[in-house]
Amino acid sequence: MMRNYNSRQTAKPGKKPVPLFADRNAYLPLRAIIKDIVEENELVKTFAVVFEDEIYNTNFTYLPGQFLMLSMPHCGEAPISFSSSPSRPGSFSLTIRKAGKLTSAVHELQPGDMIGVRGPYGKPFPFEEMRRHDLLFVAGGIGMAPLRSVIEFCLDYRADYGDIKVLYGCKTPADFCFRQDLEKWAGEGLITTRFTVDAACEEWNGCVGLVTDLLDDVTISAGSVKALVCGPGVMIRFVAERLLRSGLPAGDIITTLERHMKCGIGVCGHCHYDSRMICTDGPVFTVSQLPDLESL
Amino acid sequence: MNRNFILKKDHLQPLLRKLSKTHRLVAPVRNDFGDTLFTEITRLDSAVIDLQNQPQSSLKSFFFPQQETLCSYIVDKKLNKGKMEYSFHARLPENAPTVFFGVRSCDMFAVMYTDMIFLHQHERDIYYEQRRDSSIFISIGCNRPFANCFCNATRSGPFLDGGFDLQLTDLGDRWFVETGRPRGVRLTEEWPGFFTPVSEDDKRKQFQAELEARGLFRKLVHVDLAVKLLAESEPPERIIEELSRRCQDCGGCAYICPTCTCFNISDLALNEDSGERIRSWDACTFSGFTLMAGNHNPVNAASERIRKRFLHKLRHDVEKHGRPSCVGCGRCVEMCFGGVDIVRFIDMLTAAGENGLQGEK
Repeated sequence: MMRNYNSRQTAKPGKKPVPLFADRNAYLPLRAIIKDIVEENELVKTFAVVFEDEIYNTNFTYLPGQFLMLSMPHCGEAPISFSSSPSRPGSFSLTIRKAGKLTSAVHELQPGDMIGVRGPYGKPFPFEEMRRHDLLFVAGGIGMAPLRSVIEFCLDYRADYGDIKVLYGCKTPADFCFRQDLEKWAGEGLITTRFTVDAACEEWNGCVGLVTDLLDDVTISAGSVKALVCGPGVMIRFVAERLLRSGLPAGDIITTLERHMKCGIGVCGHCHYDSRMICTDGPVFTVSQLPDLESL
Repeated sequence: MNRNFILKKDHLQPLLRKLSKTHRLVAPVRNDFGDTLFTEITRLDSAVIDLQNQPQSSLKSFFFPQQETLCSYIVDKKLNKGKMEYSFHARLPENAPTVFFGVRSCDMFAVMYTDMIFLHQHERDIYYEQRRDSSIFISIGCNRPFANCFCNATRSGPFLDGGFDLQLTDLGDRWFVETGRPRGVRLTEEWPGFFTPVSEDDKRKQFQAELEARGLFRKLVHVDLAVKLLAESEPPERIIEELSRRCQDCGGCAYICPTCTCFNISDLALNEDSGERIRSWDACTFSGFTLMAGNHNPVNAASERIRKRFLHKLRHDVEKHGRPSCVGCGRCVEMCFGGVDIVRFIDMLTAAGENGLQGEK
């Protein structure tokens, strides 16, 4: 049985919790308010969001790896994964890279502005299988966003997991997200971290090279470790291949994929991947579930 | 247990007139251009109901319109101390009780498939449900299959065992009537004057008509073999590439297909402060179908675009739902001017399969 991670938070006394999914219109977004904005770097911002409906907000929960559909006026919707952990309720975070029309509009938002959201959707990371294992996180660029949700979640249930190691690579030092968080947790001895950038530059005195290079210093003991990998498709491929060569079974390498999506509920067809839909069969997959690593 | 009746051909028009008093009536109607399309009939006397030709359209658009508004939205930047307010208002379609008359078995079967997609997956689609909810289907078995039909090979015709409310068989001067779902039974009970008992001779004739129809298909399409080949190995790249190159990106096959249900959702701004969220038909063969922000496309449109279309129908739906989702209506054969229809694909695949797909790359 799944541990009771998914239990709804108790509503405030005197207020009856509303049923979350009673006869609802699957396509109608709910109103949510931007509470706080953190500028991670030039292109990436993290938005803390609450639902306008206080009761709904209290009752809302999700799991790391899941995503929601974010609405922006005149821009339609886009799938965005949670970068916060449901173990810290009250609000949730979306970490968004300025990449197209919708995400550029999101970057213009100010605290107090309203967005539309529906979800949560998709399969989360397999926490039941991850328990009692060492965790090896390998992230590239904005791929850290969904992994941050997992890391924070695991820190809140720290005793359930063995060593937690985070390897994080970016193009330049300016591209890192959540670096303060990660370094703080490393400082407290909760996790170990390694950072790398693609090319050497003046303001960087750390590791230089691809994130796969960081794996050279990591001892992989198959059976006791689960690897969680997220980043650009080609990075996922090379990290997965490297881990497979080190003897890690494909079922212990977990990744989360990104696709164009319109509905989030397995109908519109846009996120097809072989016989699967990324939105409902994923976005979290083990490498053993993927037909090949070339078409990521 | 299906009940059987006879409906005299002279009585059909009066029955439809009775039904049209309480229901919207939709049937294959030949228009002034000579096209036969499923059309809502407002004046039964002047409408030309055409049962001789295959309707060019299926029923898909009645439940899943080519374009529909899901909701409207309003943006207000001034209302709340300069903060942006953003609200959504659902625009649910009217639930209009409708009799669909003259539905061919393939199209009836397709409705059962789209029901599964929109109503019985992860979330119920209330837009589809609202339109679909109070429908009555009076289908017609095909005594004589049309030129491009191959529903015998997809097992979705020429006659059905269920799914319809009433199924009619043409016995010359009369219709043989079979009841299917409860609404059909109720219909025969509400209008007992129209539905008279069958004789043993009628039953024999109906059986004969059904048997003869199976021998009248002009196209021999090896659907089962194609499904088997695709379950065993990948289709030869040569076939995928050739057909992808011939595809002209028009989406006609998906639009005309009664079981293609991919869609797009986009915002249509009406002015700076408001707009509508529109759902419209989409096609997996379109080059932008899988395009992501930042211009990354996981599917190479030039060489791969038709892969999803044919594998979805003949492999993925077999894995998921136990049967292919092609209903053998043959409309894409007529529609595609590049010859990239499912029959062409099946023919190429099975021809290659004679030598074993494994050896071919």
